[in-house]
Amino acid sequence: MHGTQSKRDLAFEYQAQIPILRPSIHARRANITVKFQDIYGFTVEGNVDDVNVLNEVREKVRQQGRVWWALEASKGANWYLETHVSSTLKSSLKFTALVNQITLKRLIRKGIPPNLRPKVWFAMSGAAKKKSTVPESYYNDLTTAVVDKVTPATKQIDHDLPRTFPGHPWLDTPEGHAALRRVLVGYSFRDSDVGYCQGLNYVAALLLLVMKTEEDAFWMLAVLLENVLVSDCYTNNLSGCHVEQRVFKDLLAKKCPRIAAHLEELEFDVSLVCTEWFLCLFSKSLPSETTLRVWDVLFYEGAKVLFHTALAIFKMKEEELLMANHVGDVINIIQRTTHHLFDPDELLTVAFDKIGFMTTTTISKQRKKQEPAVMAELDQRLRRLNPNGDEK
Amino acid sequence: MATTAHNNLNAKLVLLGDMGAGKSSLVLRFVKGQFLEFQESTIGAAFFSQTVSVNNSTVKFEIWDTAGQERYHSLAPMYYRGAAAAIIVYDITSTDSFARAKKWVQELQKQGNPNLVMALAGNKADMEDKRNVTAEEARAYADENGLFFIETSAKTAINVNDIFYEIARRLPRAQPAQTTAGMVLVDRQGEGSRAATCCA
Repeated sequence: MHGTQSKRDLAFEYQAQIPILRPSIHARRANITVKFQDIYGFTVEGNVDDVNVLNEVREKVRQQGRVWWALEASKGANWYLETHVSSTLKSSLKFTALVNQITLKRLIRKGIPPNLRPKVWFAMSGAAKKKSTVPESYYNDLTTAVVDKVTPATKQIDHDLPRTFPGHPWLDTPEGHAALRRVLVGYSFRDSDVGYCQGLNYVAALLLLVMKTEEDAFWMLAVLLENVLVSDCYTNNLSGCHVEQRVFKDLLAKKCPRIAAHLEELEFDVSLVCTEWFLCLFSKSLPSETTLRVWDVLFYEGAKVLFHTALAIFKMKEEELLMANHVGDVINIIQRTTHHLFDPDELLTVAFDKIGFMTTTTISKQRKKQEPAVMAELDQRLRRLNPNGDEK
Repeated sequence: MATTAHNNLNAKLVLLGDMGAGKSSLVLRFVKGQFLEFQESTIGAAFFSQTVSVNNSTVKFEIWDTAGQERYHSLAPMYYRGAAAAIIVYDITSTDSFARAKKWVQELQKQGNPNLVMALAGNKADMEDKRNVTAEEARAYADENGLFFIETSAKTAINVNDIFYEIARRLPRAQPAQTTAGMVLVDRQGEGSRAATCCA
């Protein structure tokens, strides 16, 4: 623990310091923009209505916390780990596991309380299992061994440290930079195919803010890249990301055909806005608690959650998007929407209730289908740039 | 590609260059008149728009500020496709960034839009004591390749607006539709990207 705990507690204290604002009619009319810090210490700019929404969200988080505590009290502290229905279980236990599984899925979509997140994420994402397969000292040994090494990846990481959520009260301090550096540099040596990819700085930074220890943040990053997300999302030419973008375009055409047709008419390539979502897992676009609510489900249900979320953002603004007649307008609508999605339930309700059912299997099939096209496209660009094949 | 509506032009502009050369800082300076010592690293790309007026007409720039890291270059065609102008940015304190800029020039030359207005910006001109790329060297390269060259500083604002205004002046104005096969001139504002098909 590199002193992150004290800073994290500090971050939660901001919550208490924020006055409950009650807007008068006059204030609403004036449409005053206020700047304040959210529960993770990020500076948020919004109007009085946004502040009200955030106050309501805080209350809902507290209620949700009570639901989780009550379940722990009745089912035992680690009840959410007993959701695996194995054939060797006695039928009565099988039933309990199944009930737990259904309860858990529903509960996670409603949100994991911030103070339970480190524990629940670590257990259910597979990070705990991953960590248990290596010696206890793995992370310390790794960070110690690479401390003085200089590689292209470490240079890029050093360059990005002060550029990762600049101004954040903990991340943008020498202590925050050092912790983020150890996680990113450590990972760049763990997987040299990934090394360092821009975007991971934001993901790792947010993991550091959520998890109790730097080491657990490292393991969450590892499980995310190695098990949760599609492979090659962050490697040399981002081929995995290209595949996801193509799958997403197909899904948009299927789930939101009117929007897809309209955007095509405008010659608007949705990847223009979605690439960042898929690489930063919404951390640069959505307010922090909303991002983390997406991650709650991501760690439990897998990468398809990113498609649900991205589709929901478009779906929520269907009418407005259909009226847009210019690329710039489309981008403005989308950006305004994402930045003001302070109520996570507003997004997740659309993402899971209105988008419809998608299975990981069908998405995997679609990925397989898109892979050859992506490879051909990437190859074509390289050929065009190096017709003699004199460079890699 | 640039499209006109009376005296108004919509022009897609893309910024390309090495990581940390100052692409986002140049845009932030031009669009908002601000400078941040530590600008958040761009992932994918960021979009901005800004209108300038030159010679009794206005040019509305639709600016795509792209990510600099090498592996993101596979995404670049999506952003430069249909662009009327490109600013290739390097950092005058880094020879690597200048080498990277040359690669961008090559890539844009090969993508085959002969009307693309290309500018080369040697950024961080305020850091004279750390200079590693001379203005002469860069100018010679720019001349050879038909680029417009200028040294800029997003920090002090030197030449930042100038580069965008110079691009605005150089953009080809209303061409008769029949000269470019397949080109659609749209007489409505706000349809810039539609006419982009000709060079996609």
